[in-house]
Amino acid sequence: MKIMETIFVLILVSLIMAAGNTVGYHIDILSSVKAVAILAAISAIGYLIAKLPYCNKLPVIFWVSIVAIMVSIPQMPISEWVIATAKNVQFLAVCTPILAYAGLAIGKDLAMFRKISWRIIPVALVVCAGTFLCAAFIAEVTLHWEGVI
Amino acid sequence: MDVFKDWRLHMLALVIVIISELIGIQKIGMISLLPMIFAMIIGGIISFPKLKILKERNMKHASSIMTVSLMLLIAKLGLDIGPNLSHIMEAKGALLFQEVGHFIGTILFGLPLAVALGMGREAVGATYSVAREPNIAIIADKYGLDSPEGSGVMAMYICGTLFGAIWISILATFIANLGILHPYALAMGAGVGSGSMMAASAGSIIAVYPTMAESIRAYAASANLMSSVLGIYIYMFFSLPFANKMYVVFSRMFGKTDNVSGNS
Repeated sequence: MKIMETIFVLILVSLIMAAGNTVGYHIDILSSVKAVAILAAISAIGYLIAKLPYCNKLPVIFWVSIVAIMVSIPQMPISEWVIATAKNVQFLAVCTPILAYAGLAIGKDLAMFRKISWRIIPVALVVCAGTFLCAAFIAEVTLHWEGVI
Repeated sequence: MDVFKDWRLHMLALVIVIISELIGIQKIGMISLLPMIFAMIIGGIISFPKLKILKERNMKHASSIMTVSLMLLIAKLGLDIGPNLSHIMEAKGALLFQEVGHFIGTILFGLPLAVALGMGREAVGATYSVAREPNIAIIADKYGLDSPEGSGVMAMYICGTLFGAIWISILATFIANLGILHPYALAMGAGVGSGSMMAASAGSIIAVYPTMAESIRAYAASANLMSSVLGIYIYMFFSLPFANKMYVVFSRMFGKTDNVSGNS
């Protein structure tokens, strides 16, 4: 997708997100729109940085994370306002439209899925479980070790 | 502007989001089903090719919109990291080490099962990672997508897309309810390097520990950030060679020496 189209898509998804946030969590539409506007702005800035020479060596989501962390660290004068405004969009409301589009894209993979042997299903479930459990277990041990928990 | 102008698709997404949010969080025994899971299921049913509601073109658009909208999720999670940065830095050792779990967990759990079920070199592609886009690129570069490794990674990619978020959210709720692991450790486990899987599992952990929501998101996001930044190098220089070695070991163990070919 071109740069302008990506930004338009970001705005559109943000608006769908705001609608979901209002319906599901009873937060008025104006506060919802303000909150998603912050997320869209952070995403757009991160995305544009990731298009710059040298910066494009690292993934877009790295740059988006960095911008979000930068504007929300306590040393930043606008951080309180950013955090308070963005709090109005619920984490779950952010996820719903993303997975709605993920669902709408599933159909294109179904034909290919039928061609693959059933064996991949148990393997896929175990692979996902393995990465989650193994990391959580190591984290549990090292968090104790560091005295965080 | 083809993707942006696909109004049918956007209207469907809006309707799905509103219906899913109206359904809200539903608890079935120990498992809480989140609105995002309903959204994915309803979307999946609509996109079923037999129903002829969406064309291949619309589905491709949906898939590229999903990739773009993941940025919004990352932005939301990043806003939880900033205020908790000093807190997270206390756990930097854990954050670093748990990555090892992410990278070897897929191979140690998945590979023996894949070999035992009779998969050949496909097993390496399918289990060296959670098979997100960068992982496909690595395999495509090294073996080509027409190779057995290539069909393994594609099969895993599709399977992860179809069941990953739903499965990991069920699993996370179950493990969180057992109470044997600390919510922070679970949160780090949730940062598997896939935005949608992380969202689904972090959301489920938060449903069990609502008072720790912000820290859980901050830890999950930090772990996910680690995976996405270090990930590509670790996959290339560690996971894939390790999967290749383990494939030989497991093939011998399951008596399938004929599967062992030396093209690593």
